[in-house]
Amino acid sequence: MAKKLQYRRLVLLALLLGAAFVGLGYRLVDLQVLRYEELSAKARDNTRKEFLLEPRRGDIVDAKGNILATSAFVKTVCADPALIGNRQVEVARAIAPLLQASESELVQRLAPRLGQNAQGVIITNHYVVLKRKVPAETWQKVQMAMTNLSFGLDEKKLPRAERRFYRDLRRGAIYVERFDDQQRVYPNQALAAHVLGYVGMNERKMDGRPLLETSGKDGIEQSFDAKLTGVRGWRLTEIDRPGREVVALREQDVEPQDGLNVVLTIDSVVQHIVESALAEGMDKHSPNSISGIVVRPRTGEILALATLPNYDPNNPGNASEDARRNRVIADVAEPGSTFKIVVVSGALNDGVVRRSDTFDCEHGRFHFAGRILHDHESYGVLSVESIITKSSNIGAAKIGIKMGESRLYDYIRNYGFGTPTGLPLQGEVGGIVHPVKKWSKVSIAQIPMGQGIAVTSLQMIMTMSAIANKGVLMRPMLVDRLEDRDHIVRAKYSPQRVHQVISEAAAEQMVTALKTVVSPEGTGAKAIIAHYTAAGKTGTAQKSGGPAGYLPGKYYASFIGFFPADNPQVCISVVMDDPKHGYYGGQIAAPVFKQIAEKVANYLNIRPEDGEVPPPSNIAAPADDRPVRTAAARTPVKTIQ
Amino acid sequence: MARNRKYQSAAIRFGPSLKAFLLCLLIGGSGVGYVWQKDQISQLGQQIKKREQYLDELGKQNEKLRKQFAEMRSPRFLERRIQELGLGLVPPQPAQVWRLTEPSREVSRQDGEQQYATPHQVGTEPKG
Repeated sequence: MAKKLQYRRLVLLALLLGAAFVGLGYRLVDLQVLRYEELSAKARDNTRKEFLLEPRRGDIVDAKGNILATSAFVKTVCADPALIGNRQVEVARAIAPLLQASESELVQRLAPRLGQNAQGVIITNHYVVLKRKVPAETWQKVQMAMTNLSFGLDEKKLPRAERRFYRDLRRGAIYVERFDDQQRVYPNQALAAHVLGYVGMNERKMDGRPLLETSGKDGIEQSFDAKLTGVRGWRLTEIDRPGREVVALREQDVEPQDGLNVVLTIDSVVQHIVESALAEGMDKHSPNSISGIVVRPRTGEILALATLPNYDPNNPGNASEDARRNRVIADVAEPGSTFKIVVVSGALNDGVVRRSDTFDCEHGRFHFAGRILHDHESYGVLSVESIITKSSNIGAAKIGIKMGESRLYDYIRNYGFGTPTGLPLQGEVGGIVHPVKKWSKVSIAQIPMGQGIAVTSLQMIMTMSAIANKGVLMRPMLVDRLEDRDHIVRAKYSPQRVHQVISEAAAEQMVTALKTVVSPEGTGAKAIIAHYTAAGKTGTAQKSGGPAGYLPGKYYASFIGFFPADNPQVCISVVMDDPKHGYYGGQIAAPVFKQIAEKVANYLNIRPEDGEVPPPSNIAAPADDRPVRTAAARTPVKTIQ
Repeated sequence: MARNRKYQSAAIRFGPSLKAFLLCLLIGGSGVGYVWQKDQISQLGQQIKKREQYLDELGKQNEKLRKQFAEMRSPRFLERRIQELGLGLVPPQPAQVWRLTEPSREVSRQDGEQQYATPHQVGTEPKG
């Protein structure tokens, strides 16, 4: 009997154990087979993380390697309102001064907002951005402030749940975005702002959160955005329970490829010289704007390109749209007398006229096609050279008439007018050049004096550079090369010859004529530079607009020149839009040219033409009677030439 | 018994024991080795992480210094400092600059004169 009972118990136990094993077996199959995909994905999500590694945006540097634009990594400070509870005021008070934000605004942002998720459950927001572009040092101070945050309570006496609340608040309520943001820094502030441009932000979603990306919005920043940006890397890895990376379990680790540095042809010192001179010109003559360009005629390299008013690319939003516009390439205007170089050089090249040929300048009044053309002074018979020297409109018009519409149009186009020069900056326009069939009867007389055509300042200086460069038109060059962080050159840009516009002989004749402009007899006497022979052309054009075609009393004043005239090293253009005190190019733009030229010659160590000057025994003292302390004053500079 | 005594079959057999011991040692050693290796990997991982963070920190410091250096080299900053310090620096006038003509190699080298520099080292600056 007892045995039977024992046997029954044994069977029961076996059944129970069997059932338990069946149950466990089912669970095992359920977990490992039936729900394998779901659970393994969940497990992967809990431990595996993908981090995006931001590339560093490349720098923009000048020809000498000076940094003009660089990037710094910065933080985006966020908050988890769910962890702050009702302690917004204390938190805001602690961090508002550090973030330089309004306390009341922070209190509003830190307040939890309730919402419903897809399942209809009421949830609190866990993510709010408090401030972007926060330097790492500031973030460290914020962390310190949060760690030392006091609520005026003896927290040891509080219940466990409240103690945990305060601990979590200090540790996790204020945090930074996982991905560092970048801040573009322009150490020279407004220097070369119109060349460099500025950057802006593009927003895109990453893991459901907005991620801001830096991209160029103007200037070189925009044109070379793809090269500057670089390629993002990534890291696929596993994290432990507190969220720390387990380095040993890294699966993929692809380094980001930093953006390339863009090396410009701009020289920051020349740029500074130009901007300083333009600023003085701005103060003196109060024009709406003033622009200056310095080009190496032989290569087309732009050493400086500036226009005022300008802006600080560190804060482009603070500047007006007018100040942000690069007028050198985006604004067109009738060039006035500087355009005479096109018609005269074309006529000399075609042999239509010789430098010594003479024209009757009608004593300042010339009736043509029902219109009366004027000169600013009464001239009689002038040679072609004198027409340039004195800037006679009537003389230029007569040369144009002699040359003919078709050839004049050809030269205008050959010099590049009517099409953008190809400078790697957005917004360049080609100007307005009407085809011959749209010309009026008076156009052939007006265009040679720079009316009835609209050009950019850049086109004009490239034309003058072509004359200085023996008739060869070069493409303007702003970027010299692209290089990586180790200064290994990845792309090199060479000077590009567009074509020979006029013969070398015609160019030489033009240079001879242009030298007379920068002489006591010429209109550009105020551009005479000590120790160098300069060649150039003045320009004074009425501003077009208004019902009468021109705005009364409003002018463009300009001077474009190069030096040394027989071995041109630099070509400089100065243009003023609507100057208030004086308006003749020779009177107000030429002195600015002179100021730039003298300093640039000194800086670039351009050899003076007036022979060797023995060093003086006594160095002249400056105005304030302090001894001059230059390298030359202590020991003469020895330059091997 | 006599047979056993003759062949000493009752004596302690060390072979199997040693084999068992070695097997245990191998298994145990492998286990300890595996754990030690894992621990090493983990420690190395932590070291890598620390060094990466340090490198990152140095990179950021470097960036900061580069930025500071760029600001200090800017023409505007230098001009301001020259004014602040009252250095009175002005550009040298052309008359203050001596321009020396580079002597030609043939003229400078006399017969029998020993040449101390290779030809491309003669003349420290390029022509231009």
